[in-house]
Amino acid sequence: MAANDVPLDDKAKRMRDLLSSFYSPDPSMSSSSPKLASLDSINTASFDANQYMNLLVQKSNLEVLLKRHVEMAAEIKNLDTDLQMLVYENYNKFISATDTIKRMKSNIVGMETNMEQLLEKITSVQSRSDGVNTSLFEKREHIEKLHRTRNLLRKVQFIYDLPARLGKCIKSEAYADAVKFYTGAMPIFRTYGDSSFQDCKRASEEAMQTIIRNLQGKLFSDSESIQSRAEAAVLLKQLDFPVDSLKVKLLEKLEQSLADLELKIEKLEPAGEDSSNLYQGGSLVDNHEDSVWEFSEAVRAYLVIFPDSKNQLISLSRDLLSRHFEALQQYVHERISSADLVNILKIIWTDVLLLDNVLEEAGLPVVSLEAAQVVVKKYISSKFSIFQQDISDSLVGPKERVEEYTLQVALETGKKTVLQGSMDALLDFRLLLDDKLEPVVNLRDLIIDYVQEGFQGFFRTLYDCFVLLSEKKSASEQGLKEMAQSDKALTGLVLVLSQISVFIEQGAIPRITEEIASSFSGGGARGYEYGPAFVPGEICRRFRSAGDKFINLYIKMRTQRISVILRKRFMTPNWIKHKEPRDVHMFVDLLLRELEAAGSEVKQILPQGIRKHRHSDSNGSTASSRSNPLRDDRLGRSNTSRARSQLLETHLAKLFKQKVEIFTKVEYTQESVVSTIVKLSLKSLQEFVRLQTFNRSGFQQIQLDIQFLRLPLKEISEDEAAVDFLLDEVIVAASERCLDPIPLEPPILDKLIQAKLAKG
Amino acid sequence: MQGASSGIGYGLKYQARCISDVSADTDHTSFLTGTLSLKEENEVHLIRLSSGGTELICEGLFSHPNEIWDLRSCPFDQRIFSSVYSSGESFGAAVWQIPELYGQLNSPQLEKIASLDSHEGKINCKTVLVLELHRLLVTSKLQYPTECVIWWPSGKQDKLISIDQEKILLWNIDCSKKIAQAYLQVQSQESTGMLHYLSGGAWDPHDVNALAATCESSVQFWDIRTMKKTNSIECTHVHDLEYDAKKNHILVTAEYESGIHIWDLRMPRVPMQELPGHAHWTWTVRCNPQYDGLILSAGTDSTVNLWLSSSSGDGMVESPTRRSNPLLNTYSDYEDSVYSVAWSSREPWIFASLSYDGRVVVESVKSYLSRK
Repeated sequence: MAANDVPLDDKAKRMRDLLSSFYSPDPSMSSSSPKLASLDSINTASFDANQYMNLLVQKSNLEVLLKRHVEMAAEIKNLDTDLQMLVYENYNKFISATDTIKRMKSNIVGMETNMEQLLEKITSVQSRSDGVNTSLFEKREHIEKLHRTRNLLRKVQFIYDLPARLGKCIKSEAYADAVKFYTGAMPIFRTYGDSSFQDCKRASEEAMQTIIRNLQGKLFSDSESIQSRAEAAVLLKQLDFPVDSLKVKLLEKLEQSLADLELKIEKLEPAGEDSSNLYQGGSLVDNHEDSVWEFSEAVRAYLVIFPDSKNQLISLSRDLLSRHFEALQQYVHERISSADLVNILKIIWTDVLLLDNVLEEAGLPVVSLEAAQVVVKKYISSKFSIFQQDISDSLVGPKERVEEYTLQVALETGKKTVLQGSMDALLDFRLLLDDKLEPVVNLRDLIIDYVQEGFQGFFRTLYDCFVLLSEKKSASEQGLKEMAQSDKALTGLVLVLSQISVFIEQGAIPRITEEIASSFSGGGARGYEYGPAFVPGEICRRFRSAGDKFINLYIKMRTQRISVILRKRFMTPNWIKHKEPRDVHMFVDLLLRELEAAGSEVKQILPQGIRKHRHSDSNGSTASSRSNPLRDDRLGRSNTSRARSQLLETHLAKLFKQKVEIFTKVEYTQESVVSTIVKLSLKSLQEFVRLQTFNRSGFQQIQLDIQFLRLPLKEISEDEAAVDFLLDEVIVAASERCLDPIPLEPPILDKLIQAKLAKG
Repeated sequence: MQGASSGIGYGLKYQARCISDVSADTDHTSFLTGTLSLKEENEVHLIRLSSGGTELICEGLFSHPNEIWDLRSCPFDQRIFSSVYSSGESFGAAVWQIPELYGQLNSPQLEKIASLDSHEGKINCKTVLVLELHRLLVTSKLQYPTECVIWWPSGKQDKLISIDQEKILLWNIDCSKKIAQAYLQVQSQESTGMLHYLSGGAWDPHDVNALAATCESSVQFWDIRTMKKTNSIECTHVHDLEYDAKKNHILVTAEYESGIHIWDLRMPRVPMQELPGHAHWTWTVRCNPQYDGLILSAGTDSTVNLWLSSSSGDGMVESPTRRSNPLLNTYSDYEDSVYSVAWSSREPWIFASLSYDGRVVVESVKSYLSRK
C-alpha cells in the first residue's frame, strides 16, 4: 500500500521498513507485506537471488539489464550510507541518556536537610493546638449540661401535653401519630408512672383504650379499605395488643365461609346429573364463582393484614381444593360422561386460577393437577367397572326376566355390549383428551396411559368375572335336582361365555387396538422399558385359552350329566342275574335326550363346521353293522371253545384297525363339540361296562342297546369312525366281562329295534 | 406327545387292573400284579427289575383262583399280599403267602393265609392292611363286591382294613394261629343316615387311627379306635385317594370327571390345588414316597401323567413357570385304559404302570427330578 497510495520517497520508505523490521521481530508485521508475494520485489525476507536473476535475465534484454545493473549498484551504495547513518544516530542517543542520569544524581543531594526542617515545624503546631483545647474545655461542659436540662424539660412538657394531644389525634383519626406519641412516652410512664405522672398516665391510657377500640373496629369492618385495615393491624401490634387472637378469629370466620362455599358445590354437582345444561350460563355457576371470588378477595386482604398468616391461608385454600376434589371423586363413582367430568373440572380450575392469583405460594395448580390426575384415574377405572357390570348383567340378568331367553340372543347381546361398550368408552375418553382445559391437556399422556392400562385391567377382570360366572354354575351343579333348571341355563351360559371369549379375541380386541392406536397412541409416561400399557397380545392369549377352557368346561358339564345317567344304569341292576332282553332299555332315551339338549344349545351358538361326508352305507339294516370280521367271528364262536388267545385276537384286531383318535382337540363348531361329548360318553359307557360281570342276557341287553344307539349317534357325530370304534369297544368289553357271551341273532336284534323305533 | 417312551415293558397274558410295589423287598425293585380274567385261570406275577434296570424279569408266577380286582403287597413281608377277587357272582378278599421258590418258575399254588370273612354285603374291597401274617388262613364268601383291603402303609401293624360297599372292617390278624378276626365294623348308613355305598379308602400313614373312605358324594374320615366318623369332604365321585406319605394332612383325590384335587385336611372346605387330570376319567393317583409333590395319575384316556404339585413343600420357591404348568410329562404309550400305577419304594424315581391289556411298563422319572 505504501507503494501505491503514497508515492513516498524510495529511501524514506526503505528506512521505515528497516526500522520497523528492527523493532518488530515479526516480519509479517512489516507494512510492505502485501507486496511480498511478487518475485521481483527485492525488499522481502523471502527474496531469492537466483530466482530473481533468472526472472530478470529472461524478461529483459541486455540494455535493460545493464540499466538495471547500474540502478542496483546505486541502490546498494545508498543502502550502505543509510546503514551507517543509523548506527551514528543510535550512538548519539546513548550519549545523551548517560548525561541525563549524571544530572539527576547531583540534584538529589540537598533534599535531606529540607525534610528535617519540615518535621520541626509540625511539632510546634501540635503543642499549640493542645493548649487551646484545655483552655476551652470547662466552658463546653457547661453548655452541654444546659442543653440536657432543656431536653428534659421539653420531654416533661410533652408528657403533660400527651392526653390532650391524643384526644386531638382521635378526633382527627390520626391514629398512627397517636400510637407514635404514646409509644414514645411509654418508657417514662413505665418508670415514673406511679408517682409524678400518675394523672397524666391514666388520662393517656384512657385515650389509648379508645384508640385500640377504634382500631379493632376498623380491622373487623369489611367496608374499610384493605390498606387501612392493614395499618390498623400494624398499629395494634405496635401497642402490644394480642393481634394473634384477632387473627385466629378472622381465620375462623374465613374457614366458616369456606364451609359455605363447599356446600354450594355439593348442591351444584347433583344438578349436573340431571342435565349438564345447567352449567352453561346457569346461575349456579355464577353464584359459585362469585363466592369463590369473594373468598379469594378475603384471602388477599388477610395476606396483606397478617403477613405471617400465609401458611394458614395456604392450608385453607388447599383444604378448599381437596374438598372440591373429594366431592368430585364421590361423583365420579356414578355414571357420568366425560363432558360432565370436564365441566366440573373446569369449574374447579377457574377457582384454582382465581386463588392462584392471590396466593401463588400455595402452588394450587400443582396440587390440583395431582388431584385431577387421581380423579381422572378414578373416573376411568370406575367407567371400566361400570362397563364390566353392564356386561355381566347382560349375560346373567335377562335370563331371570324372560324365560325363553335364547342363548343366541344372549350371545348377540353379550357381543354387542362388549363391542359397543368399549367403543363408547373409547369415544368418551377421547372427548376427555380433546378437551382444551389446561389440567386435562397437561394430563394427556397420563390419560392415554390410564386408558390403555384400564383396558388391559378391564379385560383381565372380565376374564376373572367370566371364570367366576362359570364357577357359580359348577357350585350349583353339585346341588340337588332342584337346581336342574338353573343348571341347564348355566350350561348355556358357559357356552355363551366361550363364544364371547372367542369373539373378544378375534373381533373386539383388534377393533379396540386399532382405535387405541389411532387416538390413544403416545402416552409413554410410564417409560419405555415397560412397553405400552395395553398389550393386545396378552389379552388375546388369555381369551383364547378362556375360550378353550369354557368349551371344555361345557363338554365336561354335559358329559357329567350323561355320566350320572350311565352310572345309574350300570351300578343299579344285578347284571349277573339279568333277564332276557325284551326291549331297548330306556336309558338310551335319556342319553339321546341329553345329547339332543346339548345339540340344540350348541346349534344356537356355534357355527356349523364342514361336515365330513362319509355317510355310512349301512343305512337301515342293523344286522350289517360294520364291525370287524375277526370279532364277529369270535363272538359267533361257541363259548366253550373260546381261545385263550382271545386277548391276543383283540390286540391283533386293533393292530389291523387304524388306531382311532378318540381324544382330539375340540374346535368351535357344532359338530366338534357334540361329537366330543358323544365320544366321551361312549368311553364312559365302556368303562362302566368293564366294571361289571354279565350273564348272557345282560350281554345281550348291552348288545341291543348299543345297536340301537349306533344309528342316531352316527347321525349326531361327525366322527363316524370313532363312534363305530367306541361302540364296538363297548360290545367287546361286555363280551369280555360276560360269562357266556352269545350274541343275539341279528333278526331278533332287528325286530326289537324296530319295535322300539315304532314306539318311539 | 412324548410317545417315544424309554419304558421297559412286560406283558401279562390277560387283562389286568392292579399292580403293587413290593415295598418289603429291600434288595430288589419288584412289583406284584394280578390278572383279571373272568374265564381263564388267573395269575399273580412277581416281577423284578433286573439289576441293570433294563429288563423286567418274572420272578414268580402263581395261579390265583379268581379274577383279581385289587392287590396289595404286605409292607413288611415281601411274601405276603392281599387280594380282592371276584368269582363272577361274588366278591371276596384274602391274604396270601407266596411259597418259597426253589428256582423254578412253574406256577405253584399260592398259600392262602387268611380270607376275610363276614362281608355279608357287597364288598368292593380295594385294600387290606396286615402286619404279622405267617401261614394264616382266612377265607370269606362275599356276596357283594369288596372295594378294597388296606395295609397299614409302614411299620409293623397286625391290623388290616377291608372296605365293602356298606361297611368298614378292621381285622386283627394273628399269624401264628392263622386266623383273621374282624373285631370292629361299621355300617356306613349308621353315620350318614342315607345309603351311601363306600367305594374305597386309604389309611393315613401318619396316624394309625385315621382312615379315609370314599363314597358317592364325599370322602369320609374315620377314627378306627371308635369307628366313628370324624370328618368329611364334599366332593363327588372320588375314585381313588391317597395320603401324602411325606407330609401330614395332605390328601390327594382322583375324581372321575373333575381331575385331581389336593386337600389340606386342616382346611377341608376348599382343595389346596386342582390339577386338570385326564381327557377322560382319572382313575388313580399315587404320591411319590420320597419326593415332595410328585404325583402320578392314570386315566382311561390311556395315559399316565406325572405332576408336580406346586403347593407341596412350604420351603419351595414357587416359580411362576412351574405354577403355570404342573404337568411334567404325559406317558401315552398305552393301548388301553391304565387302571393302576405304583411307585417303587426302593427306587422312588421308578414307577410301574399297568394298562388294561395287561402290559406293565416301568418308567423312570429321573430326568424330571433333576429339573426340580
